[in-house]
Amino acid sequence: MKNDYYPWGGDFNTCNPKGCIAVVILNIDYTPCKDVAIYGPLKTENIGIEKIIANIISNPHIRYLVVCGNEIRGHRSGSSLIALNKNGIDKHHRIIDAPGAIPYIENIDEKAIERFRSQIEIINLIDVTDKKQIDKKINECLHKSKPAFGKQYIAIRITPQVASLDDKRALHSKIIIDYLGKVKKRG
Amino acid sequence: MFSFTKEQKIIDISGIHLGGQPGVNPTVLFGGFFFKGNADFNNAKKQLEEMYKLSKKTGNPAIPDFFIKKDELMVKIIDFIVENVPKNYPFSIDIIDPKLKIEILKILYDKKLLARTIYNSIHVGITDEEQDSLKKYTPEAVILVAFNPKDQSPDGKIEVLESGANLTSKGLLEIAKDIRIKKILVDTAAMAPGDNSGAAIAAIPVIKEEYGLPTGCAIHNVVEKSKWLHEFEIARKSVDASSNVNIPLFGGDFAIFGPVENINLVFPIIAWRDILISEYAENYFGIKPADFHPRRKLF
Repeated sequence: MKNDYYPWGGDFNTCNPKGCIAVVILNIDYTPCKDVAIYGPLKTENIGIEKIIANIISNPHIRYLVVCGNEIRGHRSGSSLIALNKNGIDKHHRIIDAPGAIPYIENIDEKAIERFRSQIEIINLIDVTDKKQIDKKINECLHKSKPAFGKQYIAIRITPQVASLDDKRALHSKIIIDYLGKVKKRG
Repeated sequence: MFSFTKEQKIIDISGIHLGGQPGVNPTVLFGGFFFKGNADFNNAKKQLEEMYKLSKKTGNPAIPDFFIKKDELMVKIIDFIVENVPKNYPFSIDIIDPKLKIEILKILYDKKLLARTIYNSIHVGITDEEQDSLKKYTPEAVILVAFNPKDQSPDGKIEVLESGANLTSKGLLEIAKDIRIKKILVDTAAMAPGDNSGAAIAAIPVIKEEYGLPTGCAIHNVVEKSKWLHEFEIARKSVDASSNVNIPLFGGDFAIFGPVENINLVFPIIAWRDILISEYAENYFGIKPADFHPRRKLF
């Protein structure tokens, strides 16, 4: 799903475009109140986190990121997201001190990451599954009414170069498939 | 339907043949066993038996893939394997948590199961500790997942196999070689819709032509993540099961087809596809199907 405020799309629901809260829901069945800006699940500690960064900095009204529910085993995506906000990434684009299996941020530039870290205050509710407790924290943040963080920032997705081939039959630049279906390496 | 110029390696894991030119060996089907909450091992036993029956009937080899998330279930799942997976039959162990991956290897060694284990998987998140553990307790076969977080295209997948794409100090193939793993399968890493999901299928012939290794993927993951399909309740299960036909059609050797509950759909669909491929491969390329191929069993 894509919309103007959240151009990277993903698996999320939108509510109040001027809401100051985004909610990441890990492994629990929970629907926050309609005053939040956006909420949705987080599965992976790499591409999933990239989408959260991009979709949050594109809405400057979002100032709090509530991460709640049971941590995703193995991926540890919630803790990796918190590590990113706290520590940033190293020169290999690995989230510093992230506990996830493959915590690499590769498709979004460092400026966007820095913007995310400056814009957002994380409310760490990992392992909190009591809905009342989560609601309470969300209400507290709503009442703080932090101002918007300047203008929206549209992160450019870093994508690999697109192949350009004259051979319309080619499935891929590395192979040729002849009319019989025989596959050969190109060149 | 393809035939490859590169010589194709066929690996034998406890009598199951994986790889080769399309049309020779039937597609190997990995059925997922996911234990949630109070693990129902009685039901798992029934499903396992049912899967082997379907395998015998169609000719498509079945390998149970045990997904282990919780450390408290680790020993119970291994005991289930010892008691229920017939002696000398292979199985795969699918774990994400790096710590659990290390622990399970020692358990498999203690239970004398390593010779039947397909380790699912090695990927760019591999740690030094995991490599050390794999050297000490080496499984029979390993699945290399060609996931590249910065480039999901076939080129990106080759990059992680070849050089590690700056995420590991060397390529996954070299890592496997250093561990002295002789039997290697490549999983082309199916991504969610929106993240170049089609590349997992397109990469199959590219990787098979590049390395000649048995190649496949868990394409059903893409269906699972296609949220819009939830609105089409009847179609969703069919789409999930039939997504797997893309793998043999593009020359692939194995499908990690998701929950074992789908066996009644997946086995006949893949057997049907394998027969189609075999007929073409024999007529055009003179490639004869193996003795246990669905084409020799189903008329």
